[in-house]
Amino acid sequence: MPHVYVENVSLTFPLYSANAVPTTRSGKDDAPNIIRNKSGRLIGVKSLTDVDLELNSGDRLAIIGANGSGKTTLLQVLAGIYPPDEGYVEIRGTCTNLININLGMQADVTGNENIMLRGLAAGHRREEIEEQREQIAEFSQLGEFLDMPVRTYSAGMQIRLSFAIATAFKPEILLLDEWLSAGDAAFKARAVERMNSFVSEAGILVLASHSKALLQANCNRAIWLERGRVRAKGEVENIWDAYIEDQAKRRA
Amino acid sequence: MSEIVRIYGNISKFDMRSVLTDFANGLQYRSLWMAFAANEIQARYRRSILGLAWIVVSYLMLVGAIVLFFGSFSQMSQVDFVLYVALGFAGFQYIVGNISDGCDVFRASTAWIKSTPLPYSVYVYIRIVRSVFPFLLHMATALIVMAFMGWRPDWGALNVIPALAIFLIVSPPIQLMFGLIATRWEDFSHLVSAVTRLLFFLTPVMWVYEEQGGLRYYVATANPITHFLEVFRAPLLGQPFPFHSWAIVVGFSVLVWIAAIIVGALMRRRLPFWL
Repeated sequence: MPHVYVENVSLTFPLYSANAVPTTRSGKDDAPNIIRNKSGRLIGVKSLTDVDLELNSGDRLAIIGANGSGKTTLLQVLAGIYPPDEGYVEIRGTCTNLININLGMQADVTGNENIMLRGLAAGHRREEIEEQREQIAEFSQLGEFLDMPVRTYSAGMQIRLSFAIATAFKPEILLLDEWLSAGDAAFKARAVERMNSFVSEAGILVLASHSKALLQANCNRAIWLERGRVRAKGEVENIWDAYIEDQAKRRA
Repeated sequence: MSEIVRIYGNISKFDMRSVLTDFANGLQYRSLWMAFAANEIQARYRRSILGLAWIVVSYLMLVGAIVLFFGSFSQMSQVDFVLYVALGFAGFQYIVGNISDGCDVFRASTAWIKSTPLPYSVYVYIRIVRSVFPFLLHMATALIVMAFMGWRPDWGALNVIPALAIFLIVSPPIQLMFGLIATRWEDFSHLVSAVTRLLFFLTPVMWVYEEQGGLRYYVATANPITHFLEVFRAPLLGQPFPFHSWAIVVGFSVLVWIAAIIVGALMRRRLPFWL
């Protein structure tokens, strides 16, 4: 059974620069997650602080939060791309992520070759990939474009191909970032349908988004991140409303 | 199907085992790095008419030019000198290619490192396959040309096999180490490219170091690349087995591995943050 367990995870993004970053501000009114050294230079941003999370099969988690609240970073930690500085992450089950649409495609090779590369990278055998090729082609609706280099694709076409590949092998855990909402309406509808069929097979879905409709259609739990901390957990509806209310208060 | 469990976290600041596991896990993705390397090689020549033949053509041009201009400086016979330069240049290109490739192995793979939790060694292996391919082509070209010029190998030529093996063994740690350092400090890759340009003159590719005296002889014997070329070149030239060079090559390879494991243990964990 797929399982995601996150305990006390903290992560600081270090800033590296050969030249000193000029200090334009005193640092007194910094956000609490900005880290400076003694001389006031920026040395890092604490993106996640003491995040706890546990997901079981059938859980579809919405990650809600403002820009820079740590949504993508949390997904990247779950995906195993950034190791956490502190804490512990345990992922049971096959896990696929679609965190950045531009990443992980070889622009100079064809769509078909990219299907093979991504399949191999996910640890599948050549025969398994060949078996899925047809349905990937069908879902992506790319037709002859699959024989053209990916660099000739529009953003929407790339999304369709990435999504088709990522979901073709029925991962037990799927991590999705905001960009899904960049697809057109028809694609979004088909993507939601595909995600539903996938999650009904007892998978785990983690979806970060600013779209209430997308989150409501796909998720049954939510967490609200604020400056890298979990501010609240609960029902999608309640958490979303609390988040929107808070945003409105800040504007006022 | 056994359940896949991945654990992230609890990583110590100095983790030598993670470096070795990374190298070992990367080996399991053989079909991925083969496919990757094949795609990259094809993509590079896809729009050219000569295609892969460019690898052979440019190599023949350079070796031909060196033989023409520098042949008279050596006391070797014409045939031996052609083979000396041809093999030396192929080996030099492979080893120095690993060093300069290593400097951008991770930068060039940023997109994949930031989207897939693959072992980092996968990117190293892609680069190695990509440079082994022209190396073998160069070697085959040299031997075919030489066979036409009347060169005949003896049984001792088989000693080239362990030499090729040590070339492969020393490549992964070189690339990992140079890759990590150059990703963290960009100045390092500028330094390396300046030094590798010098190496072409400091390594006996165009000149025969045994014929030299003084500074040139001293520089050549102190340069480990000389000995890598020696163990590779000597068997095919029908020269006696180079025990001295082999000792240096093996010792140096062990040192490179130890250095790479230490550098990896200290730096590997931070790699995704530098990209």
